Parts: sequence; structure tokens; C-alpha cells
Amino acid sequence: MRLSAAILLGKIIAKIIHLLKIGGGSAAPGLFALKLDPDLVIKLSAKIPQNIIITGTNGKTTTARMIALFAKANGLKVIRNHTGSNLERGIASTLIHHTSLGLNVINTGGWLDRNLGVWELDEAAFNSVTPKIKPNIVVFLNVFRDQLDRYGEVDSVVKKWCNTLKSLTPQTVVLLNGDDANTAKLAHCFEGKVVTFGVKDYKLVGESLEKKPSNKKLDFEAKNVILNGLKGSTFQLSFNHKSHTIHLPLPGIYHIYDALAAITCATHFSDIPINRLSDYLINFQPAFGRVEKLPFGFIFLIKNPAGATQVFETIAPQIKPNDRLLLALNDNLADGTDVSWIWDANFEVLLQNLSRAKSRDLSLYVSGTRTYDLANRLKYAGFDSHNIMVESDLKKALRQARDGLKGKLFILPTYTAMLELQGILAHSGLKKHYWEES
Amino acid sequence: MKLVIGYLYGDLMNIYGDTGNIIALKKRAQWRGIEVVVKNISLGDKLYTSDVSSKPDIYFFGGGQDQQQELVSRDLVLSIKGKVIKQEVEKGVPLLSVCGGYQLLGEYYKPHKGPKLPGIGLFPTYTVASFDRMIGNIVIESQFGKLVGFENHSGKTHLKKGALPFGMVLKGFGNNGADKTEGCMYKNAIGCYMHGSLLPKNPKLADWLLRKALETKYGKEIELESLDDSLELQAHQKALARFS
Repeated sequence: MRLSAAILLGKIIAKIIHLLKIGGGSAAPGLFALKLDPDLVIKLSAKIPQNIIITGTNGKTTTARMIALFAKANGLKVIRNHTGSNLERGIASTLIHHTSLGLNVINTGGWLDRNLGVWELDEAAFNSVTPKIKPNIVVFLNVFRDQLDRYGEVDSVVKKWCNTLKSLTPQTVVLLNGDDANTAKLAHCFEGKVVTFGVKDYKLVGESLEKKPSNKKLDFEAKNVILNGLKGSTFQLSFNHKSHTIHLPLPGIYHIYDALAAITCATHFSDIPINRLSDYLINFQPAFGRVEKLPFGFIFLIKNPAGATQVFETIAPQIKPNDRLLLALNDNLADGTDVSWIWDANFEVLLQNLSRAKSRDLSLYVSGTRTYDLANRLKYAGFDSHNIMVESDLKKALRQARDGLKGKLFILPTYTAMLELQGILAHSGLKKHYWEES
Repeated sequence: MKLVIGYLYGDLMNIYGDTGNIIALKKRAQWRGIEVVVKNISLGDKLYTSDVSSKPDIYFFGGGQDQQQELVSRDLVLSIKGKVIKQEVEKGVPLLSVCGGYQLLGEYYKPHKGPKLPGIGLFPTYTVASFDRMIGNIVIESQFGKLVGFENHSGKTHLKKGALPFGMVLKGFGNNGADKTEGCMYKNAIGCYMHGSLLPKNPKLADWLLRKALETKYGKEIELESLDDSLELQAHQKALARFS
């Protein structure tokens, strides 16, 4: 009874949000429904035969999307929190949306016709929500310094994850990034099956990936990695003494980890052969703003030191003389209110690895609520301050950056700046609203 | 001219973007044609060897995670490093410490559980762990004018009698959220809770540290060449306008 009322309330709120066109409705319905029935997530997720939880600092959305792609191609009906709303309320909203209220709702609490739940949870929500969902598979991607104002220090994040793992049933399967020492050591916190994935001879040192020969043992290992600029990469996936060629249409070594996690996961919830997974991956499209191709350039989300540095390392060699850069730094709650992190991100790489060696004359457009903090970071990274154009209004900054653009525009926004950008692009007819995307 | 920046435990105590302070000191010296060497001084290292040219002219000490902080505390107190740092500060060598670094330079840090972590007593202060998280943008009034930063700490620091605060809080929590003081100053050494990073947005303070370092090293008054600080000052002004 309580559950049905909560679902109904959530649905009404979602409807109102939809009618008033005030957003995608990915948080508010769940937020209010949870007040009515705090056990809503426990009850509704139990109606789904298999659930997967993905956590980590970077790559959650991309990994979840790949898993969903594999599952759908295999005929499974997937439910997931796909607008990056990775707190309990986001999950509740998604569950409510997919639950039908029939005539005998009072007894059943609705009908949920889905085979597989794919849930991304942020570092903190993981600990409170995982025991409620009782997942079949848990994926740990990595852990970096991120929004210290919200999550706290890396050590304490890992410690809490460890405690949560101890509370799960040993039937759960835990997938770990074996190249990140912090996630690798979680193996000791869990009694059941643990599977590791990673890239041969790569290791996370501090916050960057370093290549060093090593004898580490990984269950799913990428070998012979070839990076093809912005087009993506090719590698050999080896597991169970077999090797498969994988073409990944996403740039940068960091995306290989997302693909490895998704493939490893798929082999545990289905029996799709790896070569079929590889075929599906060729058509993979990342979520809005992560790595997004636009008619006039690219969007790469930046949100923490490690992720931003990886983006810089990936794009710097691809920037051509007529290209421009637009960076936007916001300090809203979802971005983290502390912008100190930009000083830990290696903006210097952006300059040092430019294809045009030492060209300090690259045109930089800087925007966001903390425009000047970012402008200073670029100045101290070695860019010529005369080439740093400052405009805190993102719409204007985008117009200036596109005005007279002969090459490509690389846009690097933080999370809420990225959402704002999506709105601007949709409004100007350059693309759909993000909540309308699959 | 040449400057050696001693980055105290830079490999362990570097969360919250404190490395930005090193970048700011280094760049602002280099833009004036001053040669800069940044030396990481970690567990078991000596502050300097018999080679005088490796002797730091300025120190920076950032914040760390609890576990690292414990290791560092032990190293500072057990090795002679703590003692040497105090001697150097007595001679006028400037030092900037933020958050965890600041706490360890006081007399002690009392965690929730377990015994006190002894500090080196450079600042007449002591810090006690609390269950309040003091977090957010902070603005203070100081002898360097208004300064802006971001604080994130649960330790409450108390100044003992005669201790000189680094500044007075206009917005935010400061040392303990109660007495409006922020940080502590002794000679040319500063301890505070201001991340952000602090120096890039407060260039006046960065230049004061550089000037004190050069004056102490070369034993004469030094006037630093002025720089085009328009971007820095706008970041400073914007932060003041938004947060105070």
C-alpha cells in the first residue's frame, strides 16, 4: 500500500515536471517517493532478476552504457539510471518510471518488466544503496581524488567500500580494476568470487597511468594496445588463455578500462561470445558530453584531476593549428564547490603535448562560474595570457569560440557546465535535449 | 638570483590542490628571471646536506590524509627536521603551511581516538578533532589585505596566549569557527586553513613570501619587479564579490 502510494506520487511529480518542461525529472520523483516509502528501492529492485552495480570515480556512465548495449543486443530488457543521476533518488526515479501500476497495485506494488538492472552509484551512495539492491555483480572502476568536499579522502572512500563488500552475500561476483592499487586491494574484503581486469604493463601511479613491465596477474587483460588518436584504440583481450581483437571507438587508454569492465561484466550475466561483444562495441556511442562529437568539434567532460589529465593527454596531440579550446569551470554542488582540484590537474600537459610544439598561441576560451580561477590555472600552466579569452556567460563564450572558427572546437566543461552546454546546443538546434537521448 | 623551494612531504601531503601554491611561487619567481628549484623533502630525507646551494630558501607544507599525517608527524618530531625548520624560521626563512601542515607545526593534534600527535611547536597553537566539518569558501582580513580561499577541515585549532592570528574571518569558519581568528603567524612563517589554491588568487601574499625568502638569503632589501596581475586580481575580486 505504502509502496503503491509512493510510486503514484513519484509518477505524478514526473508528469508535472514533464508538462512544465522543467528538466528530465531524474531526481525529484524519487526524492519525494522515498519520503513516503524509504524501502522503495529495496522492494522494486527485488522485482528485477539480475542487478549490476558500477562505482568508481571515473567511467561509470560509459561502462554502464556499454553493459546496456551488450545486454540489449542479447535480447535483455535493461533498466538503468542513465542521466548520470547516481544517488538513491535517481535510482528510485528510474524504478518508478518503469513500474506499471495495474488494477491490483495495492497488493503487488506494481509491475516491473525488466531482466537486468544496471546501476551506477557514486562513491558515497554506493555504501548506502548497494545493500538495498543486493546486486549479482559489483564493478569497481577506479578511485581518484574527486570532490573532497563531498566524498572525503581516498583512503576513507576505500575503507567504506571494504566494509560494504563485507556485508554482501558471497554469491555476488566482484569485478575489480587490477591496475588501481586502491581497487585491487578490495579483493581482501570479499569472501566470494573476485575477477580482475586491466591493461598489460600499465599501472596507476598516483593519478596517472604509467607504462612499466610487470608480472601482475589479471583475469581479463588488454595487450598490444594501439591508440589511434581521437578515433579510438585496438587491443587484444586475453582471458582463459584465449585472445580476441577488440576495436574501441573511444579515444584514450582510460576508455579501455571501461570497455574491459563492461566485457568482463557481460561474460558474467550472459553467455554472449566475446567476438560478438566486440562487434557491438564498434557502434558504441558514449553518453552526452563524455566524449561527444559535434558538427564543429568535440565535448570532453572534465570533473576531477585524474579524469581531466587523461582528457588533456588524449586530445593535446590531436589539436591542429586552426583548432580552439573552450573550457568551462563551474562550482555548483554537482561539480564540487571546491575548485582547488584544477591545481592538481595537469594542464601543463595540454601545452607540452600539443602537436605544434610549444605553441603558446592556441586560442583558449574560458567560461563558467569560476572563469577567472580557470584562466589563472591556464596562465600558470604556461599559456600566454593574451590568448586567454574570458567570458563567464557560457552561451556568449561558445558564440565567441565558434565565431570565425576554421578548425575544430574542443569543449572541456565540468558537469553542470556540460548540462548547460547541452541546453544551449539543443536550443540552437544543434542537438536534442540530453534527457531525450537513449 | 636563485631560489630553492622546500616542498615538505610533497609526495604525502598534497591534497586539495595545494600544489598550486608551489606552481605560483615557482612561476612568479621565474617570470622575474629568478632561477627556481623545487625540492621534495619526504620521510627520512634531510632538509639539506652540506651542499649549501641545496638549502631551501622557502618552505611549503600542505595537507594530507589521516594516515599520511601520522607518518609525517612521527618523522617531523623524531628526526631533527622539526628542530631545523624552527631554527630556519628564527633566521627569517619564510614558510607557508596549510591545513594538515599547519596543524603539525603547532604543539599537538588530538584525534578523536588515540593519543595526541605531537607537533613541533613552531606555532603556539593546538588542534583538537571535532565532529563539525568546516567547509566552504573563506574570506579573511589580514596584513596583506583581504584574502580568499576554500577551507575543509574538522580539526579545531586554538591559539595560545600571545599567538598572532594570520587574519580575522570575514566569511567562513577559520581556526575553530568560534573566535573569528584564522591561521597563525610567527616571524615569516604562516599557518592557515586556506586552500583554493591560496597563492595564485592572492598574488600579494605570494610576492611577500618570495621577497622575504630573497631578503633572508641575500641579506639585503629587495624590491620585486612588478608583474601583470590582471587575471589574478580579477579572480581575487570575483571571489570577494561572490563570497563576502
